[in-house]
Amino acid sequence: MKDGAMTAKTTGGPAGQIGQDERFAAVERVMARFDYQPHGLVEVLRAAQEAYGQLPRDLLVAVADKLDVPLSKVYGVATFYDMFTLDPVGETHALICTDPVCAVKGGGDVLAEACRHAGIDAPGGTSAGGRTSVRAASCLGLCDQAPAALVDGRAQVDLAPGDVPALLRGEASPARLQVRGEPRILTGPIGRLAPTDLAAHRAEGAFEALAKALGQTTPDEVIAQVKESGLTGRGGAGFPTGLKWAFARQAPGEARYVVCNFDESEPGTFKDRALMEGNPFRVLEGLILNAYAIGARTGYIFIRGEYPAATAVIERALGELYAANLLGEDILGSGFDLDLEIRRGAGAYICGEETALFEAIEGHRGHPRAKPPYPTQHGLFGQPTVVNNVETLAVIPSLIEHGGAWFRQWGTEQSVGLKLFCLSGHVKQPGVVEVPLGLTLRELVERFGGGFDGEPQAVLLGGAAGGFVGPDGLDVPLTHEALRPLDVPIGSGAVMVFNRSVDLWQVLESLAHFFVHETCGQCAPCRLGTRQMLSLIDRINLGAGSEGERDRLHRLGQTIRRACACGLGLTAANPVLTYFQHFEPEVGRPG
Amino acid sequence: MIELTIDGRAFHVPPGVSVMDAARANGIDIPHLCYHPELSTPGGCRLCLVEVEGRADPVPSCQLPCAEGMAVRTQSEQLSAMRREIIDLFVSDHPLDCVICDKAGACLLQKYAYEYGVSETSYDKHIARSLYQDDNPFFVRDHQYCILCGRCVRVCEEVVGASAIEIVGRGFDSHVATPFDGPMIDSSCVFCGSCVQVCPTAALMPRSRLGQGREWDLERVETICGYCGVGCQIEYALRDGRILYAQSTPGAPVNGEFLCSKGRYGWDFATHPDRLARPLIRRDVAYRLGLTDEPWELPDESPLDTGEGVIEERFVPVDWDTALHVAADGLARTVQAHGPDAVMGLSSARCTNEENYLFQKFMRAGIGTNNLDHCARL
Repeated sequence: MKDGAMTAKTTGGPAGQIGQDERFAAVERVMARFDYQPHGLVEVLRAAQEAYGQLPRDLLVAVADKLDVPLSKVYGVATFYDMFTLDPVGETHALICTDPVCAVKGGGDVLAEACRHAGIDAPGGTSAGGRTSVRAASCLGLCDQAPAALVDGRAQVDLAPGDVPALLRGEASPARLQVRGEPRILTGPIGRLAPTDLAAHRAEGAFEALAKALGQTTPDEVIAQVKESGLTGRGGAGFPTGLKWAFARQAPGEARYVVCNFDESEPGTFKDRALMEGNPFRVLEGLILNAYAIGARTGYIFIRGEYPAATAVIERALGELYAANLLGEDILGSGFDLDLEIRRGAGAYICGEETALFEAIEGHRGHPRAKPPYPTQHGLFGQPTVVNNVETLAVIPSLIEHGGAWFRQWGTEQSVGLKLFCLSGHVKQPGVVEVPLGLTLRELVERFGGGFDGEPQAVLLGGAAGGFVGPDGLDVPLTHEALRPLDVPIGSGAVMVFNRSVDLWQVLESLAHFFVHETCGQCAPCRLGTRQMLSLIDRINLGAGSEGERDRLHRLGQTIRRACACGLGLTAANPVLTYFQHFEPEVGRPG
Repeated sequence: MIELTIDGRAFHVPPGVSVMDAARANGIDIPHLCYHPELSTPGGCRLCLVEVEGRADPVPSCQLPCAEGMAVRTQSEQLSAMRREIIDLFVSDHPLDCVICDKAGACLLQKYAYEYGVSETSYDKHIARSLYQDDNPFFVRDHQYCILCGRCVRVCEEVVGASAIEIVGRGFDSHVATPFDGPMIDSSCVFCGSCVQVCPTAALMPRSRLGQGREWDLERVETICGYCGVGCQIEYALRDGRILYAQSTPGAPVNGEFLCSKGRYGWDFATHPDRLARPLIRRDVAYRLGLTDEPWELPDESPLDTGEGVIEERFVPVDWDTALHVAADGLARTVQAHGPDAVMGLSSARCTNEENYLFQKFMRAGIGTNNLDHCARL
């Protein structure tokens, strides 16, 4: 693939004090794959973490030397991402999810039992002799099978404390794909076709849109169809996709890039994982069409570090595409060239923010950049770049096949098309649901989620950055216009249902922990505000909270919502603010 | 030129100028902690947020380019309330022991806490960092005072090019560190002290001033650095006639706010007892000229021996006219007796370019030799 296109390799400097063994050779191979360019740093450190089970000091010195990156920067990157550890992790390394849905389904008990079983005092530790390490993890995208854990890259689900011995052996229930809905356009082949059986997918029409576009549609016409469809980004921000593509196509630049944002980390969200693990060709076809439309010759698929299974599927899928001349040079004899590269994250929610994602691909700490300039003008490596969510890209082939207007048959004027929702929490059949926009939450749960499990108290829509609705929100249509007065977004499509057994303040506390863990720290209101948000919620949960503290929390939330630098920070207080709005409306109200 | 209004006043600025810089150039101070005019602008402190007509949310003025017709408000009730909230957050993570702090009077956080009336945090006090690193002769790193503005990291990378430090860790637990949090000497630090100069709080302080007095106790003297021919502007902070530390001043024409390690830390010679304060001539020469009554013979050992009392024993202090006369006389006699090439001139990098020019002119045109060199380093 990309390696083949690489030309002369430099060999970098000496390797310092690190032993020249097979482990170092594995790291060296990754550095060579990146031609010893600094932008490979995150991938290089991932390889090192896998080879050594830690990032040894001498290894970091050698990497800094060979990639010609200041050692301080290497140390900065090594300490930023969650999956990097300077100290050795255990031979068995368990990440156990404690985010909202796993928490209400008993994830905390599984975590405690795993620590007890391994003989570890507290999460984050490693057992004597280095056998087992156990850590609490941010949402692993397995909320429909909560509680879930990732042990040495093996996703295991539906856990109970009694499953811990099997879990640590990697033998507890493996994760599965649970997809329902009507119509099943984006998710059609999931569970029916082998995900990377290219022939089977082509037999059902995969890549016909690409062939049509390359053969008889100009890039401008592709963009026109995407604009015509009214498709908006499915990652959460909801920017009009066609407009984004048009901006990037018009922007001056030496190169253009497309990036598939598969850093799905929003708690309660797992639709992109389902698409990529179950129907990767549709997403990749969308990405290739995107590249063709804006004139990109290189594209990246940025995959969340905690999604090893999906990564393996995409690697196989890309291999099939290169072999079939659907990627590489002169695709289908059209003269259009495109290389797609996988880049893995290393554990940082912030890297789902598009400019932080660029920073990660360029080998830096995932600090968001100032906008403007926007990515369509000045994006990856300073060039015009389109970043699209996985689900957004999955829609694209159909728009070329049927024309943009086709997508408007679903949804409303302002909320067009089909959408994947992620049902989790207290519903009888959680999973991914593909439906037209405009159903109510109640319809969604009753028709496709097997109904509510217990009497619903609240729904957290759109993930940690989304917002709460109460029972009176269950009959509001899931459209942007209907939800706007409630101050909650459709966002990523996360639908986390909490029944009356749940203390919502515990959920708020868990979300606050999430943001304290995930804030990058660059801007003060987010770095300090999320910490104080947790502190206030803790006090309230301990029963020490006065009305004054609830007002303080409300005021802090408003500051965070106005003053932070990026989308993560600006939305970090949304659960708190929407909780007050819908459940304690007297808080924060003047007089 | 672009025309915009800031706080109702119209300004014309060249394209590409930020609202922050345009405001500052016109005497409007927008609160800021991470912004520094010589550095890039990550926009992290959020104090410089301003309101722009037609935009729903406030925008950081350090990152906002001026645009034609833009109407900016740097002060409003809402902005003040928000800045107060942000300062409240900053001081929840910062000791308010200003009464014993060496930086008091020059600390930006203290300044804004005063201006916005934040006497203590309304939150729980959570100070993220407690590391105190006193690992080099020049400055101490007291992390509890660090507000993570990142100025030190940027100056080290963008101006000095040393990249000795970086923000490491993530979120609330971030801190500024050398690789592996090791001592400065093991990093790529060149000890220029630029990080200390740009630090807005007491997190980075010159070691020599700790406990020696506070801003209002210090006298400040501006001069030109005597170390080399670059001629950097330098400002010494003195107390009771003793230099406590050196820094540059904003707007210094040659060096901006930056100095090298010698200019910033190499000033202890100024009041050193060994420092020569008057011209000296050798005692045997002085005796021949009748300037001293005590005869003296040049001993065999090296004239470079400057042990205790040696200077007083071997040399006699004279006035400048006498010293120059003796030197000129010696040079003239040498040239007459042995020709101009018997003389060699060695000039110093501590002299200015002009002085060095005059010196070579003197050697070539005055003495008549090209035997000339320059140490070209310090």
